[in-house]
Amino acid sequence: FRGCSGGSTSSTAPSWLLTAVQLGYMPVLTTEPRLEGQKTASTFVLDQPRCVFKDYGNADIWLVVALDGAESSFNNTDRPGSPEIAFQSFPNPARAYMTLNATLANYPCPKPAGDITVLRVGSETSCAKDEMRPTCNGPLPGPGPYRVKFLALEGSVPVAETQWSEKIMLPEAKSSNTISTTGSGHSAGMIAITTILSILFAILLAALVAMLVFWSSDSCSGSSTFSKPESVTVRRYNTHHVYDQPAARL
Amino acid sequence: MAKNDDCVHILQGLLVFGNVVIGMCGIALTAECIYFVSNPHDLYTLLKATENSDIYAAAWIGIFVGLALFALSILGIIGVIKASRTLLLLYIILMLITFAFEMASCITAATHQDSLTPELFLKQMLERYQKSEPANNSDNEITKTWDELMLQNHCCGVLGPSDWQKYASVFRSTHTDADYPWPRMCCILDAQGLPISLDGCKLGVPGYYNSNGCYDAISGPVNTHAWGVAWFGFAILCWIFCVLLGTMFYWSRIEY
Repeated sequence: FRGCSGGSTSSTAPSWLLTAVQLGYMPVLTTEPRLEGQKTASTFVLDQPRCVFKDYGNADIWLVVALDGAESSFNNTDRPGSPEIAFQSFPNPARAYMTLNATLANYPCPKPAGDITVLRVGSETSCAKDEMRPTCNGPLPGPGPYRVKFLALEGSVPVAETQWSEKIMLPEAKSSNTISTTGSGHSAGMIAITTILSILFAILLAALVAMLVFWSSDSCSGSSTFSKPESVTVRRYNTHHVYDQPAARL
Repeated sequence: MAKNDDCVHILQGLLVFGNVVIGMCGIALTAECIYFVSNPHDLYTLLKATENSDIYAAAWIGIFVGLALFALSILGIIGVIKASRTLLLLYIILMLITFAFEMASCITAATHQDSLTPELFLKQMLERYQKSEPANNSDNEITKTWDELMLQNHCCGVLGPSDWQKYASVFRSTHTDADYPWPRMCCILDAQGLPISLDGCKLGVPGYYNSNGCYDAISGPVNTHAWGVAWFGFAILCWIFCVLLGTMFYWSRIEY
């Protein structure tokens, strides 16, 4: 895919227009393909304006980023890089800035199928604090909302512009303290295990107690018992045959 | 008394069979718990950091309970065959103690499995991953564990890369959002360990970054483990319950 790089070409063709031509195109956030980073805390991704500035082969195409509500106060004749609209003064006191300079050669028409043609606003971190680079594509300083438009300049004369986009609101990060880690309660399985095991253990203890009580109170086991294999039985033997002598033994 | 003798032999046979099964289950329990404790998934660091590693305690108890069950089953078989009251009384009491320990292990495993929610890991990851001044060694361990986890399972964050966008983290405080919307380990890396396309990864183009969360990779092994310890232990305990009742009945009927 292609991203947008810098590179400006200056043109000196004079224009007879006093105001820029309003093109019907509205800049949109990229939806095709679905990008995870379409909006992050300090960047967002726009579709490139392909086949929009077809008639302005000599112009520089700039992206204007403004705070929502400041679109009306932005003047098309402001020169890019002037201190009133420098990135480093955004959002205070500058309420808009211009960046991502390109020419029609950077946005060939039609777009080749399968290419991802996007502009990532906010990707240059190296020049964010560099006053010598007032047209830096630096990370956005807050969640917005922002509005953008494309502006074609020939020399320093605005010749065409797109409409302002819809409001772009960037996500804000919450603190990790807001995550609640208290458990979601006890699952049915755990309750089942605990209850059943407790009942089984109680039954076993009761049976043990009953068994010991039965043992100690039952000194002579008279009921049916199992004979031990090596039990010795004693049989009474009459060793002497003792009979009652008849009384008539004289 | 033939019928009585038959009853004797049947009951003895059943008890010996019950004890054989207990012995084998004891060995199986020991083997299973040794497998979990040997930590094939390197998740112990994450669990220890959540101060919630009781599942490992349950597994350790399981190892010793398994060995005790094996020894006691041999004692039980000898006691039943010899019909010795002393041996069987000793067997019953020791088996009850083992029952109590295994019960504790099962309940612990089941309870702590419930507490391992995604939110727990999310909070730990946000607060400790790539902490710039690690307070102690465990923060470095957590960073290494997460990096390996994300690399090997091709995943990012707990629920997805959006975790790094939705919440503030110590990672975010040292790495700008524009350069690192999510950590570099979330990018698909080539053989040298560099992202195949850094721009693609930063934009979030499908195919250049890992879009799944790692929670499944974490909870899968932990859940299997907890189920193994908790429910297998529960099944063994139910069987032991039956064998113990049978042994108590046999004991009370032995002629002294």
